[in-house]
Amino acid sequence: MDALMIGTIIKILIILLIVSAIAGFGTYIERKVLAFMQRRLGPMHVGPFGLLQIAADGIKLFTKEDIIPQNANKFIFSLAPTITAATAFIAMAALPLFPTFTIPEALPLIGGAIVPSVIADINIGILFILGTMAAGLYGPLLAGMAQSNKWGILGSARTAVQFLSYEVVTGLSVLAPIMLVGSLSLIDFNDAQIGGIGSWLIWQQPVAFILFLIAGFAETNRTPFDLLEHEAEIISGYVTEYSGLRWGMFFIGEYTNMVTISIIAAVVFCGGYNDIGFVSGWLLFILKVVFFFFLMLWVRAAWPHVRPDQMMWLCWKVLMPLAVVNVVITGIIIML
Amino acid sequence: MAHIEEHKETQIAQTEKQNYVMLNLGKTPDYGMPAFIQVVKRSLSLELLKGLGVTFREMINGLFRGKMHTTKYPFEKLPIAPRYRAIHEMLRLLESGHYRCIGCGLCEKICISNCIAMETRYDENQRKEVSEYTINFGRCIFCGYCAEVCPELAIVHGGRYETAGEQRAGFSLFEDMLTPIDKLKEQKEFAGFGSVSPNADENIKKTPLAY
Amino acid sequence: MEEIENNGQISLTIDGKVCVSKEGEYILNIARANGIFIPAICYLTRCSPTLACRICLVEADGKRVYSCNTKAKDGMNVVVSNEEILEERRAIMQVYDVNHPLQCGVCDQSGSCELQNYTLELGVDEQPYKIADVKRESSNWSSVLHYDPALCIVCERCVTVCKDMIGDSALTTGPREGEGLDKDLKETMPKDAYAMWNKLQKSIIVPSNDTDKTNCSDCGECLSVCPVGALVSRDFMYTSNAWELQKIPATCAHCSSGCQIYYEVKPTAIANRDKKIYRVTNEWNYVSLCGAGRFGYDFENKTATKDQKALKLAIKAIQKADAIRFNSIITNEEALMLQSLKEKLGVKLINSDAKAFKDFMSHYANAKGSNLSDGNIRTMMQESDFIISVGSALRHDNPNVRYLFNNIQKLNKGAGLYFHPVGDKLIESLGKNVACITNNINSEEAVLYWILDNFADKDKLPKEVNDYLSSLSTISKKIVTETIMEDVVEVVVDEESGESKEVTKKVPKKLEREIEVKESKLLEMFNAPSDFADILEKFLAKKENFSLVVGEDLYFHPRSKNLAILVALIESSTPFNVAIIPPKTNSLGVSLICDLDDECSGYVVGYNEAGDFRLSALGNGDLDMPALNQQEGTLTNMHKIVVPTNAALSYDGYTLNDILNELGFGERLTIDWTKKLPAKKGFESREFDSLPNGYNNDGSENRGYSLKSQKTKVTQPLPEQITLGDVSGEVVAYRCNPQRQFNEFTATAHQIFEPFALYVSEEKATQLGKKVKIDLDGTKFVLEVKVDDRMSGDIVKLPDFKHSFEIYKFFGQNRFKSITIGKA
Repeated sequence: MDALMIGTIIKILIILLIVSAIAGFGTYIERKVLAFMQRRLGPMHVGPFGLLQIAADGIKLFTKEDIIPQNANKFIFSLAPTITAATAFIAMAALPLFPTFTIPEALPLIGGAIVPSVIADINIGILFILGTMAAGLYGPLLAGMAQSNKWGILGSARTAVQFLSYEVVTGLSVLAPIMLVGSLSLIDFNDAQIGGIGSWLIWQQPVAFILFLIAGFAETNRTPFDLLEHEAEIISGYVTEYSGLRWGMFFIGEYTNMVTISIIAAVVFCGGYNDIGFVSGWLLFILKVVFFFFLMLWVRAAWPHVRPDQMMWLCWKVLMPLAVVNVVITGIIIML
Repeated sequence: MAHIEEHKETQIAQTEKQNYVMLNLGKTPDYGMPAFIQVVKRSLSLELLKGLGVTFREMINGLFRGKMHTTKYPFEKLPIAPRYRAIHEMLRLLESGHYRCIGCGLCEKICISNCIAMETRYDENQRKEVSEYTINFGRCIFCGYCAEVCPELAIVHGGRYETAGEQRAGFSLFEDMLTPIDKLKEQKEFAGFGSVSPNADENIKKTPLAY
Repeated sequence: MEEIENNGQISLTIDGKVCVSKEGEYILNIARANGIFIPAICYLTRCSPTLACRICLVEADGKRVYSCNTKAKDGMNVVVSNEEILEERRAIMQVYDVNHPLQCGVCDQSGSCELQNYTLELGVDEQPYKIADVKRESSNWSSVLHYDPALCIVCERCVTVCKDMIGDSALTTGPREGEGLDKDLKETMPKDAYAMWNKLQKSIIVPSNDTDKTNCSDCGECLSVCPVGALVSRDFMYTSNAWELQKIPATCAHCSSGCQIYYEVKPTAIANRDKKIYRVTNEWNYVSLCGAGRFGYDFENKTATKDQKALKLAIKAIQKADAIRFNSIITNEEALMLQSLKEKLGVKLINSDAKAFKDFMSHYANAKGSNLSDGNIRTMMQESDFIISVGSALRHDNPNVRYLFNNIQKLNKGAGLYFHPVGDKLIESLGKNVACITNNINSEEAVLYWILDNFADKDKLPKEVNDYLSSLSTISKKIVTETIMEDVVEVVVDEESGESKEVTKKVPKKLEREIEVKESKLLEMFNAPSDFADILEKFLAKKENFSLVVGEDLYFHPRSKNLAILVALIESSTPFNVAIIPPKTNSLGVSLICDLDDECSGYVVGYNEAGDFRLSALGNGDLDMPALNQQEGTLTNMHKIVVPTNAALSYDGYTLNDILNELGFGERLTIDWTKKLPAKKGFESREFDSLPNGYNNDGSENRGYSLKSQKTKVTQPLPEQITLGDVSGEVVAYRCNPQRQFNEFTATAHQIFEPFALYVSEEKATQLGKKVKIDLDGTKFVLEVKVDDRMSGDIVKLPDFKHSFEIYKFFGQNRFKSITIGKA
């Protein structure tokens, strides 16, 4: 086994652990941010500032009774959460998370090894990511259909409609930046914006950025597009019958997807992990991701959610035409 | 506790200051072009960002300007209204410290959930004495009739509202409800059912008492 | 409107309603009988008008009268209230409310207080009157009475009932020393209210014997009639409110009067939810209780449990028993069960009191032709004006007959003769026209012959009796000077209230006349006083309705058979209505239902009596039985009515019916026996639950059903000639229970204090000392000597209420016995 393989495995493990932790931590952040925006305190009593609330929730999820409904398709019912969680993490494989660095010589054994910024720098990176995320829609779809519950069925119907529609917009919106950069690898996107804030693709492709953000919200099932599990309408949608750890896996998947979308937005449109002046690219990259993550929570606190028909209308009559026009205009500009 | 005081200020009395304004949003377009135009207009005027602005402002207010709403309930408690009807209290006479109850049994009679029981006897001072008194709080519906009917303002409602119990029947004895003798100074008159109305003097007819 | 008039019936209109009544009835009583409400505080239906409250003011034919003392006239039109009358009544209530303590909260009467009710009814919402109050301290009047003069409104109901009904006259009005009224008020306030107030300010209720303790029978009737909380029972005081108590209609279990009572029950305590009797109340407008009935209520069997072992033993005992000994403090149903035990198992039934009574009644029936006497005590109470009591210690044996005796004096202005060897100061005091004749012991035959001699229609008497009577008397002529009292009616103006009254005064007048003097040896025989003829003449003036009550002495008498024949003869040949008083609670029922046997030896099961195996409702037997306040059933009282009684308290043990069920011939419930009571003895086949137990508005009894008198074969036995059999000795004892003590049940009640002791007159007590040793045919025991200050004479009273002393056995067929008394 060569060093690359070992390094990759180590990175996979690190990312798996860290992102899982971040997903859990994300729930805490979400509750806190939403509370603050409503001038509440949020979780306060478990640990300092309620920090251990995640641990408490984790213990609760792990120890809860695992219920499989009597008439559910047990195999698919068990499989579905795994699909969501797995696809979310698989998408992470092609994401650049930090600048390429060299491990200091001082460390034994692995000292001097060059660590690339991504687990697998494949040349179709963004396509891979979008593909796996799209595959992730099987999770909710199968979960809803397997649980033999009318709310679940409604949830999966909405999954099919929403994810399929917005897949188109996501694809079209990133097409224009791809045309500008001329590569599908996210490393290349990052490298294309190396020249400071002015070189960020957001300035060249503002429409694409907005379209991508909107589509990203829809893909990650966030307010204002959280139709799949909207409590007021369909109880909990596709997760109605889930409890305990299986339910937790859907959440881990959702929060991982939120991180993924935040990273893509940062890398594709907002300069990636490049340094700006003396400010380290590490820090900037984290700040950008945190901002996009925060934006999702912020939006949830501020905006109401839309009706399914409004969402379809927005997708097919507004966003997709805009994306197509944007691609055409970008193409014309490139040709000129 | 500062925000608790503030909470009191934001009660209904403050409603007028909130200046609600009805927005004239015009007619909601049904379909087609007008709807599209509305979306474009609203999108371009960045109305969505105003919403984000409001929530962000509130977060700043809450975090940095001390305007957090939360009362940390079991540790902090809001003062309840003076007429609130919670767990009963038995009051004492301020002058002598003797309990006010004279054992007339009216509370027992009027109690619609039949949860009050009392025993009386002839004591060594030739007075009527309450020998036993219980209220079954498992049955009590806190209607306040007992306090209203009490001729001596002896049984009143207090402010203890945390009454969750593990059993259906929850008996409280006379001594449990009686103001402790060392807390006599802190005893407050009840403002709710059965208390003397502010205009009581006007309603009293004059009785001749010439001697 | 057509006038209805026949045999003394009149009709009048009260508030538009036509009411029919007998002549001479008061308007208020007619209104009450017809369900028309006229406010009245001081008036009691069966008593004489007091005219203290004046609130019963009505307008009769346009004139303002007091409905309590105005007799109705035919065609009268009565208006109960108009504006002025209401004004007057309101003023009266306002006056009553002056200085009345506002302590309703702790007052026992609160909730059933007539002052509260009328104050509300008349809409008193302000107080224009005032007066300085005087300090009035509350006090205990006796072992049961508590009087709080501050609460008293001086309606004098207690005084009236004590005088008119009870006869003790233990209460009267005394000076209050209150401040006089402002003279201006006479002009400004309504007239009747002023007069009432004027009187109220001057009086208060006090014991009539000038001490601060009443000397009375402790019957408690005064506290039951008190409209406010002034007179209350010391025991009940402050323990409960009227509204908490549940009233259970029942029948008093202590004597043969069988008065209707209410046991008032509520849970014993917060922690103990078993019912307890807090007090006994009565419909005081229609019936008066004695002290035992009112205060002797907690005689229940407190410790009863279902002891299966004891039940098995009881069944074995009954199966091998030769006899069952019981007394008459049981229900008809229990008597019937015992009778069925006799029929099925051949066991003998022994009952000392009922046996003597049954024998007496069977001789009486043989002579009369029917098994019950015709006299009705309730009718006597209303109509009779001359009463003779023979052979009954009225004060002890049956308080209700004593009330009858008193009533005839007080309300019917009658006269009474009380024949009894033991002198009784109370009976003497019941009226001016009462004579207590201390006849010789066992000389009742002479008394009854004397009645025949004086009152019988000689044509109706057998020739032999007439001959015998004439052989006993001589007639001579004499001129005597005598002083008679003549009634002079004067009109007197009352200075204080300013109204005129008719006052009857007695003025002595001397006159001479020639009279026929009939001297009879009979008088000598029963030791009549020398002026007996004069007394009798005075007593009999204008008397029309004669009553005779005979009591226990006649059943326990060596010559009881002859006495029974004489009583029957009196009933058939004289105008006397005769009432025969059963000796114990249900002696009449038991004597009708059970075939009783003479005393016998062998294995005896005792039911509340001595025996080898004891069934007992007293809690001290081998198997527990329910007491009469713990079981349902019927009693046959002296009014010859079968009355129901209800269970006031729960009972957890076995009943006689359970024993019968074990033996295989019981019923499902004890009350299933009610409809099986023997019809050929006069009972009806009625379900227990169909028996009413109450009073109608007009005071008529609506309780149970009346026994039907049964025709018997008449053998017309001739009465024998008198055989005097005096009981003499150093000390003669009379078997008689103390006042308020009737049986072992009353003895367990905590408010009946009279002990098992030797009761003697004051003079005798000084001879005897505090304790004596009594020798009853060899059985010796020490008894305390108690003074009964209403007794006179040398005879001592020995109670029989404790079965363990077996007093009945020692006395046998006589209530008098010579005993030996030594110093203890």
